[in-house]
Amino acid sequence: MDKEKKTIQARLDSFHSRKLWQDKIMKKIFQGSAILAALMIFFISYFVISRGIQPFLSSYGDEQQSLIAFISGDRWRPDISPPVFGVGFIIINTLLTSLGAAVLSFPISVLTALFIAKIAPPKVRAVLTTIVELLAAIPSIVYGVFAAGTITGLVKDVGNIFGINTYGGNSMFAVIILLAIMIFPTITSLSVVAISAVDRSLELGSIALGASQMETNFKVVLTSAKSGIFAGLALGLGRAFGEATAVSMVAGNRMVGPTWNPFDITRTLTSTILSGMHETSPGLDYDMRFSVGIILLLVILATNFMIQVIKRKVGGVTHE
Amino acid sequence: MLAFKVENLNLWYEDNHALIDVSMDVPRNQVTALIGPSGCGKSTLLRCFNRMNDLIPKTKITGKILMKGDVEIRDPSVDVVKLRTDVGMVFQSPNPFPMSIFDNVAYGLRCQGIKDKKQLSATVERSLRQAALWDEVKDSLQRNALKLSGGQQQRLCIARAIALEPSVLLMDEPTSALDPIATAKIEDLMQSLKQMYTIVIVTHSMSQAARISDQTAFFLLGELIEVGPTADIFQVPKDKRTEDYISGKFG
Repeated sequence: MDKEKKTIQARLDSFHSRKLWQDKIMKKIFQGSAILAALMIFFISYFVISRGIQPFLSSYGDEQQSLIAFISGDRWRPDISPPVFGVGFIIINTLLTSLGAAVLSFPISVLTALFIAKIAPPKVRAVLTTIVELLAAIPSIVYGVFAAGTITGLVKDVGNIFGINTYGGNSMFAVIILLAIMIFPTITSLSVVAISAVDRSLELGSIALGASQMETNFKVVLTSAKSGIFAGLALGLGRAFGEATAVSMVAGNRMVGPTWNPFDITRTLTSTILSGMHETSPGLDYDMRFSVGIILLLVILATNFMIQVIKRKVGGVTHE
Repeated sequence: MLAFKVENLNLWYEDNHALIDVSMDVPRNQVTALIGPSGCGKSTLLRCFNRMNDLIPKTKITGKILMKGDVEIRDPSVDVVKLRTDVGMVFQSPNPFPMSIFDNVAYGLRCQGIKDKKQLSATVERSLRQAALWDEVKDSLQRNALKLSGGQQQRLCIARAIALEPSVLLMDEPTSALDPIATAKIEDLMQSLKQMYTIVIVTHSMSQAARISDQTAFFLLGELIEVGPTADIFQVPKDKRTEDYISGKFG
């Protein structure tokens, strides 16, 4: 009897130790995946930065570039001799086009999300959700041909009304509209998730205090979903800053700037990296694209930081 | 004086007959407790008083709830927004909005279009004092309300409701998510609040009903079994089912 008890105990012990052991293994696997993802960011940044700073080091030889001239420059002329690489005006162009797209897209996206999550009847909600998902799934090159074929024509017509001669519609305005359309599904779908997750009891609390459904939606639901909505904005802006293919098709790649006139052609950081990439040979022109890449990473980093600051300011709570 | 007079009230959620021919009086400046096992209709009745059932589709109601003597609260002439500012509600789990303490209390007033800062501050202070929360938060009115403890959050929700100076305060199991100390604080608070407001409370706790209420109504499967002074209900219940419930034979 006693012996039997002991064997059962031994079995249980080995069972439990196996479970503990399995837990440990799984933990290591999760840890490994997380480290791998973090390493990717590190390797990409390291590769881009280490290559991008080369032209500014004395070791680069005769063609060494001035960092200040690069950052404050208002001309991008790789075609002349000696070539001039000034990225300052391109940063401004990029901020103008991306923030312009966000200003256009953000309110529409949030209102659409509110409609999908809170107002639309279930059938309409399902259809709209599918449409937004489909919009997100369209490849950027398709957006590009659409923009080149349709938006540019529209901009050209609008320009004609005001008597402005556009470059066949290629313009900052066309880039902004294109990017606004492209980031709409990103901001919308994240906002829908955030708004749907708002606790129903908060809405009931608001209505029980004599608020109308609309007051409740704007004052309580949107403030509660703030974090998710701003995450959508951050992702949307990331897409706007990073979009190269479609933007290059309608930007026109102006060589001096910045571009302030929306009907004038423009040049963004991404379109600069992309344009003539295939024709160029290893050398200064090629390396400078990595330098522009560093600038793009910094711009996105700064913008995300700015969004965090804005997020804290809106919605009424001063201390999170 | 009566706060509400309920006459032959019936309510259906689709095919579910949730309230069956309920008639009762809710006297002013008293605490009326609604008790009974889960699904007995006590919360449903509570939500009739500020018409929160309007939000649930396919709800059908017959009968009357008269307020202040003769106003039928479902009459088309009654403005439901006004009704809800006059009949405040506190929910089962504390549901402060993700805003500052001040903004939470000022919320209802701002929805009424009141923007005057002096008036808002005065009302916020009065409401927080009445809700016995002022001393704990007076130096941190701009703090996020979600940083408060559960009991403080619930008192904030009470302050938020009484900021609108309602005549009635509905409470749907207001202490079921709280610890005993926080519960005791809310119960004390109710005793002082009933001087100014009529309180209708739904509770699962019979000892709570016995402690705090002046009148108790016992519900079972949508029917009002018995209503009367709390002492009578707990000591000399008229109905066998009431006696069985309060003595713990079922529930």
